[in-house]
Amino acid sequence: MGGIDLGQVTTALIAIIAVPLVLLGYIILGEQVIERLPDRIQEWIRPYFWALPAIGFATVFMVYPLLRTVVISFRNNADTDWIGLANYQYFFTFPDTLTSLRNSLLWLVFYTFFAVFLGLIIAILVDRVKYESLAKIAIFLPVPISAVAASIIWKFMFDYQPPGTTQTGTLNAAIGLVGHDPVAWLVNATTNNAALIFVGVWTAVGFCMVIISASLKAISSEVLEAARIDGANEFQIVRLVITPLLWPTITVVGTTMLINALKTFDIVYVMTNGAYNTDVIATQMFTQLQHNHLSRAAAVGVVLFVAIIPLLVVNVRRFQQQEEQR
Amino acid sequence: MSVGTTTREAAPVRSAVAAIDRFGGTLQRLPLHLVIIIVCAFWVIPTIGMVVNSFRSVSDMGTAGWWTILFPPHGFTFASYQQVLQIEGVVPSIVSSILITIPATVIQLAVATMGAYAFAWMKFPGKNIFFIVIVGLMVVPIQMTLIPVLQIFHTLHLNGTIMSVWLAHTGYGLPFEVFLLRNYLSGLPREVFESAEVDGAGHAVRFLRIAVPMTIPAIASLTIFVFLGVWNDLLVALTYLGVSQYRPFTVVITGLVTSFGGGWQFLTAAAVLQMSLPLAVFIALQRYFVRGVTAGSVKG
Amino acid sequence: MAEVLARRSSRGIALCLGALFLVAACGGGGGNSGGGGASSTDVTVWTAWGGAELKAFKDVLAPFESSSGIKVHITTNRDSTNQIANGIAAGTDLPDIAPGPTDPVQVADWVSKGALKPIETALGDQFSAYISNTYPALTTAPGGSDDPYIGIIGGKHYEMMVKTQVKGLLWYNKKVYTGAAPKSFDDLLAINPSQYGAQKLFCAGFESGAASGWPASDQIDNIIMRQSGETVYTSWIQGKQKFSSPEIKLGYQTFLKEVSAANVYGGSNTALSTNFGKAGDPLFKSPAGCLFLEQATFITSFFQQDFPSLNLKAGTDFDFFAHPSMGNSQYDGNVNGFYDNFAMYNNTPAARKLMQYMATKDAQQIWVNDGGTLGAIKTLNYTDPVFKNAASVAGSAKNLLVTAGDFMPSDMQKAFWQSLLNVTNNPSSLNSELAHLDQVQAAAYQKS
Repeated sequence: MGGIDLGQVTTALIAIIAVPLVLLGYIILGEQVIERLPDRIQEWIRPYFWALPAIGFATVFMVYPLLRTVVISFRNNADTDWIGLANYQYFFTFPDTLTSLRNSLLWLVFYTFFAVFLGLIIAILVDRVKYESLAKIAIFLPVPISAVAASIIWKFMFDYQPPGTTQTGTLNAAIGLVGHDPVAWLVNATTNNAALIFVGVWTAVGFCMVIISASLKAISSEVLEAARIDGANEFQIVRLVITPLLWPTITVVGTTMLINALKTFDIVYVMTNGAYNTDVIATQMFTQLQHNHLSRAAAVGVVLFVAIIPLLVVNVRRFQQQEEQR
Repeated sequence: MSVGTTTREAAPVRSAVAAIDRFGGTLQRLPLHLVIIIVCAFWVIPTIGMVVNSFRSVSDMGTAGWWTILFPPHGFTFASYQQVLQIEGVVPSIVSSILITIPATVIQLAVATMGAYAFAWMKFPGKNIFFIVIVGLMVVPIQMTLIPVLQIFHTLHLNGTIMSVWLAHTGYGLPFEVFLLRNYLSGLPREVFESAEVDGAGHAVRFLRIAVPMTIPAIASLTIFVFLGVWNDLLVALTYLGVSQYRPFTVVITGLVTSFGGGWQFLTAAAVLQMSLPLAVFIALQRYFVRGVTAGSVKG
Repeated sequence: MAEVLARRSSRGIALCLGALFLVAACGGGGGNSGGGGASSTDVTVWTAWGGAELKAFKDVLAPFESSSGIKVHITTNRDSTNQIANGIAAGTDLPDIAPGPTDPVQVADWVSKGALKPIETALGDQFSAYISNTYPALTTAPGGSDDPYIGIIGGKHYEMMVKTQVKGLLWYNKKVYTGAAPKSFDDLLAINPSQYGAQKLFCAGFESGAASGWPASDQIDNIIMRQSGETVYTSWIQGKQKFSSPEIKLGYQTFLKEVSAANVYGGSNTALSTNFGKAGDPLFKSPAGCLFLEQATFITSFFQQDFPSLNLKAGTDFDFFAHPSMGNSQYDGNVNGFYDNFAMYNNTPAARKLMQYMATKDAQQIWVNDGGTLGAIKTLNYTDPVFKNAASVAGSAKNLLVTAGDFMPSDMQKAFWQSLLNVTNNPSSLNSELAHLDQVQAAAYQKS
C-alpha cells in the first residue's frame, strides 16, 4: 500500500471525460435516428430512449434487489424454505417494536417539519441580505459531517458531570450559568428523543435550505417587485407569493425528509443505539443485519417501503395536477 | 430638497438625507439581521466546539469544556492532526476518495438529468408508474442490495474495481436525483421550449442548450449533496472494493481508534479534515445560486 | 441548422467512439490491477484493530515481512463478518485472514460451506505446539465436544487465538486504597470508602455510543459466572436459561448493589452518561471519587492518557485485584476473558506462513512488549507488573469464559445491554425488564 496508483488516476480521468461524452453521443446520435422515424413511433420510443439509462441503473441496483428483498422476507434465513409471515410476525410481536414505531412517528413529524420549515424560512431570509453566502455556509456546515463525527460533536454538547463538579458539556455548562443542575440529556426520558431529533434537524436544515434556495432564485424579481408595488408587505409576499411558487420544491424536500426520517438510523445508532426508549424502526433493521439475519431485516425493509406508499401516491397526484396546468 | 436650490448646494443635503434613509432602512432590517445572525451562531457553535477540540489533548477535553481554550492556559496542540496524517497510506487514501467521488458524481448527474428531462417533458405510457417506482426506491436500505449487486458485479468481473463503486453510487443516488431534477425541470416555462421547437430545434438541442443551462442552480445544489454523499460513504466502498488495495479516506479513518474506542480524540481531527473538502465544494458552487438565471428568459 | 448539427454530430460521434475505446481499454486494465485475492507473495488481512492496536500489529509483522518477503495488506474493517457473509453468498473474493464470526450458527454454516479453513491445515506440523502453548481454556472444548464459541466444529479448530484480555478486574489507585484484597463480594461491599478518603466505593461508566451498556454486562457476567457457575452461564448464552430464572435474577440484584446510589460515584446519571474510558478518572482525582473500577486489562492505557501529568505507572500507581468470590468456591475458577482470533479463508502458502508466524512466541512477545494486552501463549514474558499479574490470573483460571453478550444474537445482546442501563436508571423496573428480556429471548433464538 504505497503510492498513488496511476492506473486508477487515468481511469478516473477518462471516466470524467468519457461518460458525459458517451451520454452526449447517445443523445445526439439517438435523436438523429429517432427524428428519421415516423412521428407516431417517435412519440413513444423517444421517452424510453432518454429515460433508459436512469431506468436501467435503477432497475439493476434497486428494483431487482427490492424484489429480492420482498421475496426473502417470506423465506427463512438459510434461504431454503418458505415460512410465510413468520418474519413479519417476529417484527410486530417483538417487545420493542411498539416503542420504535412510536419514536419513528415522532421523527416523521418533528424532524420533517422542523427541517423543512427552518430550511424554508432561512432560505427566504438570507436571500435578502448581502452576506447570504456566509450565512449559508454557517447553516450548511453540519451537513457534510458524518454521523460518527456528529456524535462526537454532540457528546461534547450533551456531556454530563455529577452535579457540583465542573461541567464539560456545553449545554450543561450553559444551564449551570443560571444555576440549574446538569441534565443527563440522552438518558432522561423527557429530553432524549427531543435531543436526538434536534441533532437530526441540525444536520438536515442545511440540505433543505440549499435545495429550496435554488428554487427560490428561479422566482423572477419582477414578480416580487410587482407584488410590492401592489402594496403587499413582506409577510404577505412570503405567504401569498413565494410559498405557493415554492410549493413543488417544498413537497420534494418534504418527501425526501420524510423518507429520511424513516430510513436513517445513524444518529440514533451512534448516540444511544436506541437505549432509554429512543429506538426507531431502522435501527431494528440494522440490528438484524448485524447478525446477518437478512430475512428478518428484509421484513422490516418491506414494512418501511409499504409505509411510504401513501406518500408516493400524494406525489404522483401532484405531478398529474402540475402537468394538467402546463 | 426644494426645487429652487442649486445642484451644488443640494448634493450634500441629498446625500445626507440618503444616508439617514439608509440608516433608517438598516434599522428596519435589524430584526432580520438579528434573527439570521443568532440562528447562524447557534448552528455553528457545536461544530466550532469540535474544531476547537481537535486542537486540544484528550486529558484537557476530559476536564474542561472547549471554550476554556480562550483562556490561559490554552492547551493548543497539533497532536491529533499529526496522528491522522501519520497513518500509513493516508494521502493515497485521500486521493482514492477523490478518484471515487468525482467520477461517481459526474456519472450520476449526467444520467439523472437526462432521465429527469424525459419524465418532465415527455409523455409516455407507464411514466407515472416508472416514476413512483424510482422515487419509492429511495426508501430501500442499501444493505438489502449488497448481495444481489455483488453477484452481478462478480459475473461482470467488476468486483474490486473502482468502476464498481462509481456504478453502485450512481444506482443508489439516482432516485433522489431524478426526483429533484424532474421537479425543477417541469417548472421551466413551456414557452421557451415551444419557441425553440418552432425554430427547428430537436430534443437534443432543447435539452442541451435550454434545459440544462436553466437548471444550473438545481444541478449545482445536487452536485454538492451527491459529492458529499459519495465522499462520506464507508459501506459501499468497503463492500464493492472488497479485498482490493484501493482504500478511501473513510476506511483509513476507522483505523484511527482501537476496537475499544481508545484514541477517539483523533477522530475530531479526522472529522475536520473529512468535512473540509465537501465544504470547499459548497463554497465554490455558491456562485451558481444567483437569481435571474431563468428570469427574463421569456420574451414578452 | 441541420448542417451545423450534422457536422457537430460527426465530431461528436468520433469523440465518443474514441472515448468508448479508451474506457474499454483502461477499464479492463484498471480492473485487473485493482483486484486482490490469492497470491503467493501477498496476504490480505482484515482486522478490527485500529490506533495503538494496529500499530502493535504492524510491529509484530515487521520481522515477518522482512524475513519472508511476503507483503501483508491490512485493512481495519469493523464490519468484516457481514462483508465476508455477503462475499460468501455472492461468491466474491474473501480476505485471506480475518476474525471468525461470533454467532455459533454462522461459524457452523461457514465451515460447512468451506469458507473457513482448518487451523490444523494452516499450521501443519506446528499445530500441536500451538495447542500446548496456548491457554487451554481457549483451545479445548469442555467435555471434549465441539465449541462454536472458540471455533471448534467437528473436532477441528477453525479459529486461532492470538490475543487475550481478562475482564472483571477491580482496579484501584494504590495511593488511595491501601487495604488488602477483599476475599469475597460481601467483604468488598463492606469496605468503607471514607476510611480511605474516597467518596464512593465504585466508579462506573456504561456509555459507549452504539455499544452502550457493555461495561455493565461485563459486571453482571462476572457476577453470574461466579455465583451460579459455568453451566448456567453457558446455557444462558445459548438462550436456554431464562432471564427471569432465579439465578439470573439474583445476578441482576447483585449488580444493582454495585450501581446503587450509595455505592457508585455520581449516582446513576453519572454511571449512565460517562464513557467507559473516562469512568476511571475519579480514581486519580483528589479527593478520590471512588475506590474501585471494575474493568478489563485494556483500560490501563485510558488511565494513562487521561492524566499525562501524573505519569501513572502500572504497579506503583494503579493495580488490580481479581474479582472476589461470590461465595461458591467451586465456581471461583471461572474467569471472564476474551480473545482475538484469526481465521483463514483462503488456503494460500503465504497465508499459512503468516498464521504459523502469529502462533509463535516471538511474534506475540512483540505486542506484549508494546503493552496493553495479553498474548494467547502461556509462557510470554511480561515486564509490566499489572499484565504479569493478569497473565497469571488467565493461566490459573479453571474456565476462561467468554463475554455473554458478545455471543448472543444481536437483538438479544442489544436488549440485554439496554436492560442493564434501564435497571440502573430505575431499579424498581427489574421485574418488568426481566419479563421483557424473556420475550426477546423467545423471539431472538428462534430458528431462522
